[in-house]
Formats: sequence, structure tokens, C-alpha cells
Amino acid sequence: MGLNVHFLGLVLLPWIAGLFLSIVPTRFSKFFSIFLACISGFLALTFLSRVHGSDFSVAYSWFSIGPKSILASFWMNTSAQVLLALIHFVAICVQIFSASYLAHEPKIRRYYIYLHLFVGSMTLLVLTDQTWIFYGAWELVGACSYLLICFWHQKPEAIRAAKKAFLLNRLGDIGLLFGLIGLSMHFQTDQFSAMNTGLYGPAPFLVGLAILLGGIGKSAQFPLMSWLPDAMEGPTPASALIHAATMVAAGVYVGIRIFPLTSEEVHLVMGGIGAISLLAGGVLALFQSDIKKALAYSTISQLGLMWMGMGSDVSLMHLWTHGIFKAGLFLTAGYVIHSVHSQDVNQMGGLRKGLPIPALAYAIFGAGMMGLPLTSGFYSKENMAGYLWTSVDNSSYALYYEGLLLALALGMVLTAWYISRQFYLIFLGKSRAEKTPDSAGTFDLGLILPIGALAIGSFAFVLGNPFFAYFDFPTFEPPSAWLIWTGISWVLGIGLTWLTRGWVPKENVQFWPNFWPNSFQYVLMKSRNAYWIETRIYDRAVNGIARLQVIMAHLSAWVDTWVVDGILVGLTSWLSEALGRGISRWQSGKLASYWVLVFITFGLFLLFSLLI
Amino acid sequence: MTSFMLLSLLIFIPLVGSAIVGFGFAKSYDRSVAITAVGLQVLLLAFIASAFQVGEGFQFQESADWIHLSLGNLGHFSSRYALGMDGLSLPLVLLTGIISFIALWNSKEIKEKTAAYYGLVLLLNASLMGCFLAQDMFLFYVFFEFMLLPMYFLIGIWGGPRRQYASLKFFIYTLVGSLFILIVMLGLSMAYIDPYETALLNGWVRAGQNFDLDALLSVQKAVSAGEIPRNLLVHSFDISALSDVNNCLPGTIFTPNSGWLLAGMSGREWGFWFMFIGFAIKLPLVPLHTWLPDAHVEAPTPISVILAGVLLKIGAYGWLRMTIPFFFQEALQHANILAILGALSIIYGAYNALAMKDLKKLVAYSSVSHMGFVLLGIAAFNVEGWQGAIFQLVSHGILSALLFLMVGAIYTRTGDRDMDSYSGLAQLMPRFTLISGIAIFASLGLPGFSGFIGEFFSLMGSFTSVYVQPGVAIFGGLGILLGAGYLLWTFQKVYLGPLYLRDSSWNLADLTTLESISMYSLGICGILLGIFPGSLFRISEAFVLQWINHIS
Repeated sequence: MGLNVHFLGLVLLPWIAGLFLSIVPTRFSKFFSIFLACISGFLALTFLSRVHGSDFSVAYSWFSIGPKSILASFWMNTSAQVLLALIHFVAICVQIFSASYLAHEPKIRRYYIYLHLFVGSMTLLVLTDQTWIFYGAWELVGACSYLLICFWHQKPEAIRAAKKAFLLNRLGDIGLLFGLIGLSMHFQTDQFSAMNTGLYGPAPFLVGLAILLGGIGKSAQFPLMSWLPDAMEGPTPASALIHAATMVAAGVYVGIRIFPLTSEEVHLVMGGIGAISLLAGGVLALFQSDIKKALAYSTISQLGLMWMGMGSDVSLMHLWTHGIFKAGLFLTAGYVIHSVHSQDVNQMGGLRKGLPIPALAYAIFGAGMMGLPLTSGFYSKENMAGYLWTSVDNSSYALYYEGLLLALALGMVLTAWYISRQFYLIFLGKSRAEKTPDSAGTFDLGLILPIGALAIGSFAFVLGNPFFAYFDFPTFEPPSAWLIWTGISWVLGIGLTWLTRGWVPKENVQFWPNFWPNSFQYVLMKSRNAYWIETRIYDRAVNGIARLQVIMAHLSAWVDTWVVDGILVGLTSWLSEALGRGISRWQSGKLASYWVLVFITFGLFLLFSLLI
Repeated sequence: MTSFMLLSLLIFIPLVGSAIVGFGFAKSYDRSVAITAVGLQVLLLAFIASAFQVGEGFQFQESADWIHLSLGNLGHFSSRYALGMDGLSLPLVLLTGIISFIALWNSKEIKEKTAAYYGLVLLLNASLMGCFLAQDMFLFYVFFEFMLLPMYFLIGIWGGPRRQYASLKFFIYTLVGSLFILIVMLGLSMAYIDPYETALLNGWVRAGQNFDLDALLSVQKAVSAGEIPRNLLVHSFDISALSDVNNCLPGTIFTPNSGWLLAGMSGREWGFWFMFIGFAIKLPLVPLHTWLPDAHVEAPTPISVILAGVLLKIGAYGWLRMTIPFFFQEALQHANILAILGALSIIYGAYNALAMKDLKKLVAYSSVSHMGFVLLGIAAFNVEGWQGAIFQLVSHGILSALLFLMVGAIYTRTGDRDMDSYSGLAQLMPRFTLISGIAIFASLGLPGFSGFIGEFFSLMGSFTSVYVQPGVAIFGGLGILLGAGYLLWTFQKVYLGPLYLRDSSWNLADLTTLESISMYSLGICGILLGIFPGSLFRISEAFVLQWINHIS
């Protein structure tokens, strides 16, 4: 198979799969879906091994607009390859997990179609080189996210959350749209790969900022972060794929794409937003009673960490490791929810006995999140610190980088605290449940297998170091003092967990929860004002003008009847009466006299026209 | 030169159909006859489209003497029955055929006076065709005015409870608009000469002989030097003659730099704004739009479909075909104002749509908002903007027709258009929900659907344009956020959530086959155009480049 055909298959298969599933009977949809997802994954894996870490690009002509031809071009560089691998790895795990998790869901076919559409859009987003296709795919993943959040569309919370997610994303997308237009204007091309900073210099600050706005929406960074916890209304496995591992990482990916194209100031803004999100997400994760929402905040916090990498290689590295362990955390949480039939941490505790395998898996993923040694999370986090540390030495904004390092140091304590605390609240201590889990102890291979695969993948020697070496990632060594602090942060975090073990949050705390809903309400209220203007002012004015015309018409009719007509009628009736008396003499009944009259008139007319 | 008179057939097929149906010859088969007539027209259109040479100018041209007056010292006035089709009219003519067909197809709800109804719809179709095909402005004007008549009766007889108010409002608004156009049209034809016919009258060129550029320039030179006696000048309404400012006689108010000023504006500026306003009413542009929601709300569904799908496009067509070519420099000078008006329309329309509870009004205001993108694109005066605007015309024609069919499908089942009266329809009508979801996501500009391409290129054109301030484009861009707001809100309220019906006796059966076919075929059109926008861009490119290259 030629490389180009292989590539096309890779891009198109998820779409074909989605279409195909729509004609397959629901009973078989699980089987076909998993099968097709595996084939997609296989195609991706074999393709990656064929290009073997080197860049691959291909372009098809799509359409032309004026002198400009718009290419459907693709550029598979290192970051695209890493994301492609991540998407397919997590997607297959999620597909398998969903078959058991949603075994009794009557609409499962629709769910699987959405998953394939998502993978197709995400593949397009990652691989395309064309700014416009990038934007298109960006919107499409948002739409898939919408569809999956409101998958259970009878639930009012779900549809509210879906709408919120879509609108907040759209807000960012406007920034992305104009940012991308600005980017292609600046570089005189709409291919990412052809953007030449040597020739045109880095993109203007505002352009970078606008693109970051898009990323903020997608990655649920400060201040557009509140949609992600709400989005947990969707099915848990879908959350694992979309709202933990891949789609939200697209916001980081766009940062990676523009990293070489923008100036340091843009990177600093990105890092600053990341730092705020890291801390805010970390704090809020502590105050959630819903374990999925806690994980959502931890996602925001970890995405903030990636943003602190400013789109450099360390961002990509953490994107990869986080994708695996966070998907694992979500699937494990799904397992727990599946057994306990509750998402509330108040109904959990002491589950290590009933659910030993999830407990073990959760511990592994949690260790990855904390960045304990042996996990790949350890390396990505240390590299992050190393990157910031070297920047302190090389940049004129040293103080800023030191501030970011401080935030990172704090963030590490927070991370260790909230994840170990969550582990404690779910699996350790005494049970707080009103009734014991009914399916505790059951062993469902369909659930265990994907979790196991992700758990193994979380170890550094499996999908960590060898993977980084394969793609030739640069390493940034932090000084040994930082390593000591890392150790202290684990101890501090776990110690804080122990100190606060008796405190179980009763509700889900949100920071300024009504800000965005109120903003929507405000816009809606304003729209009522617009309608008020429309009906009360415009329409009344229009009708008023029309009515004025009618009044004028009546007035003129009155004048016409009583004044003009009165005079005219009076005059003419008098005239015609007088004339009639005169003419009646001619009306003697003889035809001849009529003819005389006709000829005289005609003659007069002729005379008149001749004289003229 | 085709001798088949293909374009005339496009107009006369529905006209003949209208006569057959309208005078009652079709008896109880009026619906079938009407559908057959438009079906034939669509087939003919398919043939014409396949024979159309992409990249060429006007094709399938027909021309016949119609009115020729000699007015002594005022010169000769000539108006010809001239038809032609180029890259701008072809997509719109195709749209007219397809939308009319679908509207007739979905006219089952009309039960009274069917003969008159189908006759009037065919008449409307014929005059719409004429508008898009006329190459003579007087002929265009005749079709343009004539369109009012069937529309007035269609709303006024088969409309809702406030139909009389709505139809009268529509009539008066449009009449005022055409008055503006009429004034400029008469003024222009007095001020301009038709170089070819003038040469013909003066014997400089024989009939059938090639009239080349040199001959044209020599005539124009003679005219500007005042060498031709006034009674030997031919004034015409030929659109291409009026599009060339060099055909203007010296010393009229439309002569460039004539020094004639009224309220600080030159005669040409007045002409531009008059024509602009005349067509803006048809578009409709805020603040001249208030007839539209009323007309839509009262019109029966198929008429709403034609109104939104085709009729509104004539406004933009008039700008692109006449207003801007006639007054190119003036339009270019005021590009930024045009863009502001467009952006205002987008935001204002979207805001109003957001406040609506009546589904039909919501779609009507969304039309106002979406047509704002057309003006925004036109104001850009670059290839992206113009192509985007033309694409948006076609895309909106398809999608708004789909949205109105969607509202119609609910309305025929419930008799209620208030979106608070029902929710959770997805549980009862899955097929309907799917196509409605497609319509809604396509309208809010999701990539992969046609709405995205139109909005995207209009926005991109205006943002990169040198004539428009970027802030205006960004302001207009907020419309895509508001658009997502009101459309998703509708989707969520009507289709999602727990099932609720205000009146439990409503029978909300899923779409009939008839409805499914028309709605899904429109949806597929929207998707195909969204994935292969090049098919449309290719057709309209020659027209766009002709005028965009005119700038330099």
C-alpha cells in the first residue's frame, strides 16, 4: 500500500466508520464499532512506524477562490504523530470500555457514531496543515463534544451543560478565527508548515493573543474554565476521551503549532494563564463531592501545567503522559461509578476491599499525576521545571519565569494533595455508603482490560522514556534543589491528605458559578431590549408613517369632496346646464346636424394643428 | 447564440403552467400540473447548467426589440427583451428552480382555492426567473414589480390571521423600494447612452457586425465630445451599457465630477444610495427589515420557503448586478459604511432572534442576520468577500428553506409555533430531529455545511479588506456567537429535554415520506456544498474577478 493511500485511509476511515454504523443494526454496532476503531488504530500505528519519526506531508487540491487555491494539505510532524498515537490509543480503550459500561444503553449506536465522528475530526485537526481546515476541525470537535455531553438529552442538566460548553468554546473560536486570519495575512500563506518567521518575523502579539483565546476556550483555561466540570454530565468513557485526554488538549496543541511562529511575549501570556489555571483548578478540585467533577478540575489544572510549557516540547511531553493517566483515571472512576451507582464521594470510602483492581489502577494513575518516580508523569513534570529553569537563565523576563516556577512548586503540592485525597476518600478509610455496592467484586474483563492497558502505559519504561527517545525529545534537567522540593511536595501533599481526611465535601464548589450563566442571561435580556426597540419604536414608526399617510389621504379626500369637487362640481354643473340649454337646440333629432357638428369640430382641430 | 430560446423557456414554462392552472383547465390536477411545470423547468435548468461554460461571461443570450421610442430632441429610448446568464445568475436561477419545486412539493397544506394558489406560485416563479435573467434594467424592473402581485395575494389570501396587515406592509415596503430604483433607473437612462445602438442608428456599424472595443471607444469619444446630435443618441436600459461610466453624457447630474451637489452629495452618490436603499428593502437590511418578520409569520410555509429562499436574494443580486457596477467608485468609497450596515444587520437580527419565542419569527430574524453577512462580504471588495457573499446567498437559500420547512412540519402538527409549547420532540420524532439538527448546526455555521463557507469567507474577506476597518469585521464576527446562541437554544428547547406537549391531543407523528424527501435532499445539498464549495466558487468566479479587477 502506497504511503499516500495509507494516509488517506487513516484520515477517512473514522468518517466511513461513522457512516457505516448508521446503517448497522444496533445489536451489532458495538462489535463493528470496536472492530473499526481497532482498524483505525492499526492504520495509525503502522503509518507511524512507516514514517519512523520523520515528517510526512501531502497536499490535495480542494478548491480555489480567485487566484488563491485552497489546498487540503496535511503535515504530520512530531507533535501531530504524538497526538495521533494518543488519540487512537485512548479511543480504542474507551471503545472497549464503553461496550461494557453502556451495555444496557438502548441508543448505544448513536454513541458509537459520535465517537467515530469525534476521532475523525480530531485526526483532521491534528494532521492538517491548512489553517482553515484546522479551524473547521476545531469547530467539529466542539460539535462532537456537544453531542456527547447531551447524549442523555432528557436530562435538563446535560443539555444546559452542552450548550454552555458549545457557547464558551464558540467565544474562544471567534478569537481563533480572527487570529488564524491574521496569522495567514502576516505570513502570506495559509499553510502552517510554510510560515516563515525568518522572512516575516514572528506574528504580531495581538494575533498570538487571539489564537490563545481559542485555546483558552478549548482547554477550559482561566477564565473560560467552568464548562468542563459541567460537561461531566456526558457518559464517563466519552469524558475520558474528549474531556480529559484529547479534545481539551487541542488547546495546547494550537499553542504548540504557533510556538515557533510567535514572540516570547505570547508565550509568557500562555504560561501565565496556565499558572492561574493550574492553581485555580488544583484548589477547586479539593472542594468537589462529585468525583468526576474533581477529576475535571484536575484536568484543568494539568492542562494549565501544559500551558505553562508555553507550547514547547515539554508541553507536548506532558500532553502525552497526562493523556494516558487521565484517561485511565476517568475510566477507573467510571468503573467505581458503575459499581457504586453514585458519583458522590459521600457514598464511597473503603472501596479497596470491594474493588481491589480499580484501587490499584487508581493508585498507579494517581502516582503518574503526582509525578512519582517510575511513572512517565515524573519525567514530563521534571522536564517542565527544567524548561522554566533554563528560561530563567536565558530570558530577559527572568522574574516572570521565577514566578511561574513558584506557581509550579505550589501546584505540585496541590496536585499531590488533591489526588491522594481523592484516592483516600474513595478507596481508604471506612465506607460512608448507605448500602454496599451490589456488583462489588464482580470481574468485568471489558472494563478491566482498557484500564489495565492504560495503567501499563503509565509506567515510564513502557510509554514514557522509550517513546520520548523515539521522537528525540530534548530533555531539560532541573537543578537538584528542585528534585528535593519535588520530594517534599509529595510528602506535603500526602501529609495534608492525612490531616484533612475527616473532611468530606458535601457539594461541588464552583468559583463564581453564575458568571457565565448570568452573562448569557444578560445577553438574553439585552436581546429582549432589541426586540422592544423593534416592536415599540421601529414598527410603531413604520406604522405611524403609514397611518399618517392614511390620515393625509382622508384629509385630501375631504378637501377633494368639499372644496375642490364642491367648486368644480358647482362650476361644471352650472356650465353644463348652460351649455346643455344651448346645445339642446342642436339636438333636433336629425342625423345631419350631428354630422355638421362632427365636421366643424374636426375642421377646428385641423386648423389648430396646422397653425401650431 | 442559441436559437432555442432556452432562457425564455425558463420563464414561459411556468407562465404557461400558470395560465393552465390559474384559469382552471387543470381541474383537480392543478397540483400535479404545477409540479410538472416546475419539474420541467428544473430539468431544463440541469441541461443549461451542464452546457454552461465556466469562466465565460453572459451565455445563452437572447435579444429582441421591445420598445423603441424616438422622442425628438430627447433622443431615442430603447428597451430590449434581453436575457442572459452568467456566473452570478446561474446559481440563483438554479436555487429558484429547486426551491420553487420543493415549495410546491410541500404545498399539501393548502386546501382552498388551489387553482389560484398554484397559478400564483408559478407566476411568482416566472417573475423570479425573469429578474435573475434580464439583461435590460427596464425588463428587470417589470419582473421585479410584477413579483409583488402574486406575493401580495399569496400572503393575503392563504396567510395567517394578520395576513392583510402583513401583505399590505410587504406591498408598501417593496413598492417604496422600487420607487427609489425607478427614479435612478429613469435618470440613468436619460444620462447614459447605449454605444452599440447609437452606432447602429448613426450607421457606424451594421446589424450583426462585430462591435469591438475600438468602435466602442470611438463612440464614447464622440459622445463625450458632443459630436453626435441629441436626436441621434440612443438611450437604453441595457445593464452592461449602464455599467460603463464612460457612456455617460457630459453635463448631466450623473456625470462624474459634474459639480452638481445636493446636501453635499454628488448626483452619483445620490443615485448609489437610492438604488442601495431600494434593494436593501428587499434584502432586507436593518433598519428597513420590519416587513420581513410579519410577512414570514403570516405566509403559509411554502411561501415562506420561497420568500426566504429566493426572494430575499434579489436584493443582493440587485446590488451585485446593478447598484455596484453602475456606481462602482461611489460604492468603493462607502465600503466601510456598507460593512458597518452589514455588521449591524448581523448583530441586530441575531439579537432579535434571541428574544423570539415564535419559531417562525426566530427563523425570519435569523434570515436578517445571515443576509447581513452578504453585505459584509460585498463591502470587502475582494475575491474572498464577494465569493463568500454569493456563496452565502445560495447557502442561506437552502438552509433557510430547510428551517422554514422544519417550522412548518411542527406547525402543521400542532398549529402552534410557540417554542414553550413543546419540548423533547426527539423522543417522538427521531427522523425529524436528525434533519432539524443538521439544519440548525448548518445554520450556525458548523464546518462541513454550507453555512460555514459563506460566513467564513465573508468574514475573512471583510477582515482582510483594505476598505473595511477590521473592527467592523470582528463586530460582525460576534454574530456567529449569537447565532450559536439562538439556534442551540431552539434545538435544546424544542427537541431535547423531557417530553412535554401543551396539548396532549397533538399527534406528533414523525415526518412523512414526502416531507422527508424534500428536507433531506435540501440537507444533503447543504452538506455537499459545504464539502465541495469549489463547485460554486468556480461558477461565480468569472463574474467576481471581472469586478474585483475593475478596482485597479
